[in-house]
Amino acid sequence: MLRITRRAGERVMLGDNVIVEVMEIRGQTVRLGIDAPRSVPVYREEIWLEVKRENEEAARAAGAALPDVSDRLKPSS
Amino acid sequence: MTVESSRFGRVEIDPDRIVEFPDGLIGLGGSRYALLASDEKSPFLWLHSLEDPELALPVTDPARFFPSFQVELADEDAERLGLDDVTAVAIYVTVRAAESLEDFSANLKAPILVWNGQGHQVINQASDSSLRAPLFAPESTAPAGGAA
Repeated sequence: MLRITRRAGERVMLGDNVIVEVMEIRGQTVRLGIDAPRSVPVYREEIWLEVKRENEEAARAAGAALPDVSDRLKPSS
Repeated sequence: MTVESSRFGRVEIDPDRIVEFPDGLIGLGGSRYALLASDEKSPFLWLHSLEDPELALPVTDPARFFPSFQVELADEDAERLGLDDVTAVAIYVTVRAAESLEDFSANLKAPILVWNGQGHQVINQASDSSLRAPLFAPESTAPAGGAA
């Protein structure tokens, strides 16, 4: 992993289009500002990981047949 | 068009059911999927990859199970996706199937928004949006879908 030391107010460029700025450092917390093109979604890693795992489980858990649940649903209105 | 599916064999796809995911599904990728109904009466649809015959996720309309479900987007997501309050968006959530219905769950944390043939899986900022919300209450009580 590339390691770069930055001070508050300094930035890192990821390619030409993504800017990560260290906005504030307070104790154990660093506030980052991220400027990325619209096409680049930005996620907190722990949320990205849990959604990735849930997507994988949804894709893995279901065979071709899903149960008939019509008697367990309220009538659709 | 037709698509090969490891689950369903060769399937005819209505072009209207194709959804382009510019960013893929989170952690899964893929850019082209189709929404398939294997049974018209079922609340479950399949979000089936058009690129990988083995990749398909069951999804459902969250309103069928969670009447108070809402999606709250972070401002930067709404801006990134070009969504405003008036855009008509279809909402789906992925379903984790299980042996028993009581163990079925839906991911309310990362709903899939579809409009104009385009799909985006987003992070729901609503505080009560569970990653694994049970779809069915235990048999002895009222079904989750029937809760007011």
